Amino acid sequence: MAIATNKGLSLAREIYADRSKRVRELRRDGKKIVGYICLYPPVEIITALGLVPFRIFGDMSEPITAADRVSTTMVCPFVRSILDLGLKGKFDFLDGVVGAHTCDIGAGIILQWRDAIKDAPFTHLLDVPHTDHAPAVDYFEGQINSFKRHIEELAGEKLTDDKLKKACEMHNEQRKLVRQLYDLRKPDPPLLSSAENLEVMVALSSLPVEEGNSLLEDIIQEVTERKVKPSPKKVRLLVWGPVFDNTALYDLIESADAHVVVDDTCVGTRAFWADVKPPYNLHALAQHYLVDIKCPRTYRQAEPFETRRDYDKDLDSRFNYIKKAIVDWGVNGVVLQSVKYCDTHGYEVPNLRHYLDTLGIPSIYIEHDYSERSMAPIKTRVEAFVETLG
Amino acid sequence: MDIIASKLFFTGIDIGSTMSKAAVVDAEGVMLGYVIGPTGAEHRRRANMVMEDVLAKCGVSLDEIAYIISTGYGRVNVPFADKQVTELTCHARGVAALFPDVRTAIDIGGQDAKVLKIKNGKLVDFLTNDKCAAGTGRFLEVAAETLGLELNEMGRISLQSDTPVKINSLCTIFAQQEIIASLSEGKPLPDILAGVYIAIATRVVKLARQLKVEPPVVFTGGVAKNGGMVKAIEAVLGMPVSVPPEPLITGCLGAAILARDEAFKLINRGEYKLQKKQLSEAYIEFTEKTR
Repeated sequence: MAIATNKGLSLAREIYADRSKRVRELRRDGKKIVGYICLYPPVEIITALGLVPFRIFGDMSEPITAADRVSTTMVCPFVRSILDLGLKGKFDFLDGVVGAHTCDIGAGIILQWRDAIKDAPFTHLLDVPHTDHAPAVDYFEGQINSFKRHIEELAGEKLTDDKLKKACEMHNEQRKLVRQLYDLRKPDPPLLSSAENLEVMVALSSLPVEEGNSLLEDIIQEVTERKVKPSPKKVRLLVWGPVFDNTALYDLIESADAHVVVDDTCVGTRAFWADVKPPYNLHALAQHYLVDIKCPRTYRQAEPFETRRDYDKDLDSRFNYIKKAIVDWGVNGVVLQSVKYCDTHGYEVPNLRHYLDTLGIPSIYIEHDYSERSMAPIKTRVEAFVETLG
Repeated sequence: MDIIASKLFFTGIDIGSTMSKAAVVDAEGVMLGYVIGPTGAEHRRRANMVMEDVLAKCGVSLDEIAYIISTGYGRVNVPFADKQVTELTCHARGVAALFPDVRTAIDIGGQDAKVLKIKNGKLVDFLTNDKCAAGTGRFLEVAAETLGLELNEMGRISLQSDTPVKINSLCTIFAQQEIIASLSEGKPLPDILAGVYIAIATRVVKLARQLKVEPPVVFTGGVAKNGGMVKAIEAVLGMPVSVPPEPLITGCLGAAILARDEAFKLINRGEYKLQKKQLSEAYIEFTEKTR
């Protein structure tokens, strides 16, 4: 039952271009496909129950024409794009959709899905608290438990400790392999372009975990052995921000004299920096998703409930993982990108830029409306930013 | 090598959204002359014409041009350029050539506004307005059209105002509606114009303040030719601004000076001849094709 004749990077590109191809095949073979929005629904539970997790993205090349029926243009265009595709029947292969209260807009979509998009018989909203202290983790564990009980109905089977452990190990294996993939961009020049990397990351979010893992193994070997490597460039950049699932931005940046060598985005590293820790129970999942994943949607402070003003300590506790990436990947500039109306990331930008200033790392902030066309005006600014670094 | 190099000239071409400009400098970086013309729809043809015009004006032949840098919105459409550099870097270089101490430059062009922070003649930080043309030359054109005025008479009329009308909307279309509303209320024309300038100044100064405005400040771009606009920027900013004698050419001047720097880098690498030859052939070939 080969998925395709393609292998490695070319298979990743094929899946990137036609994300639902493989899960449609699996569905014909009797598998149930569960779409999830944002990276907070624990995919380990979905995998453990024999279901196939499929991350839902919008489509930056598809004009939003249907979504205005169920939302207004002040809603973030990423979410509107998802709604738009849903209303156009492009997610008709999903047996269920899991949303999470990662931000208000992200949570709202699940009700729209239940009411306006009738294709998915199963919808679930996972409540995710917005702070990362111990009582919040306990609360989140309870919410994961509700999700578990609900999705057991869809799967028609019960989650056992053993199944969950196995799924956690497979997903941890994927995290380890993704970190190895990112290590390939530590050399100068990097062994892999950022657009190639994104194609792989999007492909992983469209495949069962075991297929994703063997794809990663193939790709790591292929890239290590291939003769043609990206050419040297003078600037090494980190890209930060919310969902970016299209190679357009990376192509644009790399058309200037710069490589993107690492990222802190929710399609890139965010879900893969840390492993789920043993014992692989629901509490470990709550800890992993709420505390170990660093996304501006979770409010983080150096000391929970601390009200004394210690700005520098707070900044460092929020962003020192970015400092580590800057050092480890030899980064000399940061591109902060955000989709329009993303208030969670918008609030973070001035603080993060200030933190980067204190590190002596130049940065630029760019905003787009989640469409390929909106990339063009950004080009001059990115090029000029790269020129200032040269 | 030095003797040859001292006889060479360098060109910067700035294909802006509205106007195209070109300048030639000598081996010392001193400007021989410049030309300015409308961009129009045919960028490539325009690039060629501007190049021919500036050579004629400066009495320099193409063979003497060692290096060409294109910049501006249409920089990709200058097929004979040796290199493309963004207008942000070029403006900074051009402004610094005219005002060596400059720390902040504000440039308002036909469809964008930019703020440049400059240190030791080099661009260190910048901001541009986003996709929308509010607060740019286009905004002024729409206002002029609405009021039935020529662009070049607006500045003079606005200087007669003591009590500028408040224009709250920065969206070009909504501001146009506000202008019409002020007209129907019988507000004097100078006050409306002064209000338009203050609205644009407020928007660009807000952009500038994100980067912390440090004096000396230089104001460039087509909009800087407007005396009313200069006054408004100074009022909103709370400090004096300098305007070059020809505020349109800082981009192409900067590009020409960068072309000179780049060419000398090539000379030091021993690649100077090669670059010159490629440039001539590409240019002639292109000129023949477009004729």
